[in-house]
Amino acid sequence: MTTTASERSGALHELGLDGQNQATIGRLLATGNIGRAEEGDGGRMHARIRIVPDQLIWDPSVLVLPHGGHLDIEFVNDDQNTHCALVPSNGDSQWMWLPNYSRGTMSVTLDGPGYYWFSSNIGNDEGRGLIGAIVVRGDVPESARLDRPQQPRP
Amino acid sequence: MTDIQDRTDIEYKEAPPAVDFGSLTTAAGTAPPVVQGVTYERILDARSEPQNWLTYYGAYDGQRYSPLDEISTENVVRITPAWVFSFSPHGLHAGQSTYAFETCPIVVEGVMYVSGWDGWVWALDAKTGQLLWQYKHAIPFDVSLCCGNVNRGVAVANGKVFVCTLNAHVVALDASTGECLWDVTSGDVRAGESLTVAPLVVKDRVVVGSSGGEFGVRGHLDAYDLETGERVWRCYTIPKPGEPGSETWPQEGEAWARGGGNGWITGTFDPETNLLYWGTGNPAPDFDGEVRPGDNLYTDSVIAVDADTGEIRWHYQCTPHDLWDYDSNMECILFEQDGRKLLAHFDKNGYCFILDRTNGERVRIFPFVDRITWGEISPDGQVTARIYPDKEGEEVHFYPGPAGAKEWTHAAYSPTTELFYVPVQDTGATVARRRREFKESIPYWGAAVTVDAKDMAGSVSAFNASGEEVWRWRNDLPMCASVLATAGDLVFAGTPSGKFVALDARSGELLWQFNCGSGHHSSPITYSVEGKQYIAVPVGWGAWVEGFLPGMMGGPHGQAMFVFALPEGQDSSGGR
Repeated sequence: MTTTASERSGALHELGLDGQNQATIGRLLATGNIGRAEEGDGGRMHARIRIVPDQLIWDPSVLVLPHGGHLDIEFVNDDQNTHCALVPSNGDSQWMWLPNYSRGTMSVTLDGPGYYWFSSNIGNDEGRGLIGAIVVRGDVPESARLDRPQQPRP
Repeated sequence: MTDIQDRTDIEYKEAPPAVDFGSLTTAAGTAPPVVQGVTYERILDARSEPQNWLTYYGAYDGQRYSPLDEISTENVVRITPAWVFSFSPHGLHAGQSTYAFETCPIVVEGVMYVSGWDGWVWALDAKTGQLLWQYKHAIPFDVSLCCGNVNRGVAVANGKVFVCTLNAHVVALDASTGECLWDVTSGDVRAGESLTVAPLVVKDRVVVGSSGGEFGVRGHLDAYDLETGERVWRCYTIPKPGEPGSETWPQEGEAWARGGGNGWITGTFDPETNLLYWGTGNPAPDFDGEVRPGDNLYTDSVIAVDADTGEIRWHYQCTPHDLWDYDSNMECILFEQDGRKLLAHFDKNGYCFILDRTNGERVRIFPFVDRITWGEISPDGQVTARIYPDKEGEEVHFYPGPAGAKEWTHAAYSPTTELFYVPVQDTGATVARRRREFKESIPYWGAAVTVDAKDMAGSVSAFNASGEEVWRWRNDLPMCASVLATAGDLVFAGTPSGKFVALDARSGELLWQFNCGSGHHSSPITYSVEGKQYIAVPVGWGAWVEGFLPGMMGGPHGQAMFVFALPEGQDSSGGR
C-alpha cells in the first residue's frame, strides 16, 4: 500500500519513522524539514542549521540553494551531546566540532547543480539520523552546454 | 529557512572554528616545487628522464614502457612492498558501491601526484609514502555515472596539477600546495555529462575528453589554456547536420544530437604530425541501432585531431554502426616499423588495428582474443555483423561482451622486445533490444544486458606488430588492468583477484607475484628516486564490474597505492 505525498508526513509519524527509537532505532534519513538558504549581496548565501535535542537530526535536514557558490552555514547544537559537522566543499571538506550548546559558522563552496550529503561523522551519528542534504539548483553556464537542440527531460 | 526559534534558556558557547578536513591528517601541507620546471619540451622528451613518469602513458607515444632496469628478470623475485598509501572516505559519496581506484600516478623528482575517486587528489613523497597535500573537489551525490565513481589520473606542467571532476569541471591546482588556481565548467551534468579522463598537456594547452555516452550526450574533446583555463577549442565527435560525416546519421530527427562518441580515455600525440590520436566511444543508444541507421561517425573510431585547432584530420572507424557497445577509446600506441610511422589500437571488438598514423591508412588487422562471434573483420577491413540485438525483446549472446576483449585498460609496447603486451578479457554477454524514449540524463542503452559470470578467461598476450601471438600468460579471470613494460625485460600486470604479477617480457613466464588484497583496475607505473627503482600500482576494485566481470561483483573494493622495490635502501618512514 502506498501513500500520497500529502499523507507522507502523517504516515511517517504514525509508523514511528520520524523520531528516535520508535519504529526504527534511529531516525529514518531524509524525513526532516526542508529549508532554503538566503542570498545576500553579491550572491553569497547563508543558512542556519540546528541539531534538535534528543532527535539526532539536522533542522533543516534538506537545505536548498538557488545556485552554486559560497555558502555560510551557522550550525547550532541544541542537543545535550557533542556532535560535529562534516560538509563537502571545493578544496577540502570542512569539519567542525559542535559541543553541547554551541554554535559556529562554516563557509563552504559548492558547484551546481546537484546535491551533497553532510553529516556528523562520529559514533554512528550518521546512522541515527545526522545526515543531511544540501541541494544546489540551477544549471551549468551556457558555455558548458552541448551544442544541440533542446532535449526532452524526464 | 525553517522557523525553529533560538532557545533563550541556553547560553551558547562558540564552537571551535571549522577546519579543512585534510588538516586532521599527517599531510605535510606542501610539496617541493618540482613541477615548476615541467615544460612541454620536457614532456616531449619524457623517456629521457626515466626517474619520472611525466604524463599519463609515461610518454606521448602511449607505449607505457620505461627504460628503468634496476628491477629485472634476475632480481624481481626479491621485490617487496616499500610503502602503502591507503585511503577511505568519510560520509556518503556518489557511487558508493561502484567506486574504484583507476588512476595512473604521475611522478616528478620524487613527488607522486595521484587522483582518487570522488574528486580526491593527493601529493605523496614517492620514496616514503608520506602524504604531502590533498585536494578534494566536492562531487554531487547525484551525478550521472554509467561506470562508477572513478578518475584515471592527473596531468602536470608549469607548476600545476590538472584534474577532471565527475561533475565535469577541469581544475588546475598549485602543485606545491594543492590550492585551486582555476576551475572551469566543461560539461553539463544535467545532460548526463561527466569527466573521468586523465588530462593531456600538449604545448600550452590541457586536453580533455568528455564522458556520458550511455546517457545520449554529444561527445567532445576540449583544449584549455594551461594558465587561464580559457577554452581554446572544442572538437565535437558527432557532426552536426551538414558537417563532414553527418551523412552517416539519419537526415531526419535528432539522433546525431544524442549520438555519444565520447573521448573518455587520454589520447596520444605525435609532435611531427601535430596530431592527437584519440579513441571515441560507442554510439547512443548502445544497442538499438534501428534508431540511428548509418555508420554513425565518429563513434567507435580512432580520430586524428589537429592539436592546434581541434579539427579532425582523418579517422578510422573500428566498428561502423555499433550494436555491441564496442567503444574504441582504448590507447593508440605509436611506434615505427620499417621506417613507417604507425599506431596500434587494440579494440573492444577483439581486433587490433595497425594504422599509418600520418593518414589513417589501414596497414594490418588481426584478432587478439579467442572468441569473437559478433561478426568478422577481414584483413582488408570489411566488417560483417553476424550476431546482434535486432528484434525487440529477443535475446542474443555474443563474444566479446560489451566490456570488450580489452576494456579501456592499457596495453604496453616494449621497443626492446618489439612486442605488444595486451590485457585480454574473454567474456560473453546476453543482450535483448529494448527500445526506450530518449530523456536527458537517463541511461540510454536501448537494451537489457547481462554479462556472463561463468565460462570466461583472461590473459596477458604478447603480439608482434605482424599480429603473431608470441606468448600468452593465462589467468582464469579476465584481465581488467593496464600492463607496464620495462627495460628490465619485465611486464607487470594486476589481476581481478588482487595479485600483482611480474612476467618475463620475452617468454611470459611468471616470475613474481604479490596479493594486494583487492582487484586491479588501474595503470601501474615505475619511477626512481635517488637511483632506486620503484613500481607503483593503485589497487581498488570496482567501477563497471557488472560489465567486465560480474563474477567478481562481490570482490573487495580496496583503496590503496602499493609501491614495490628491491629491499635494499627502502625507507617507509612516511607518516608520523
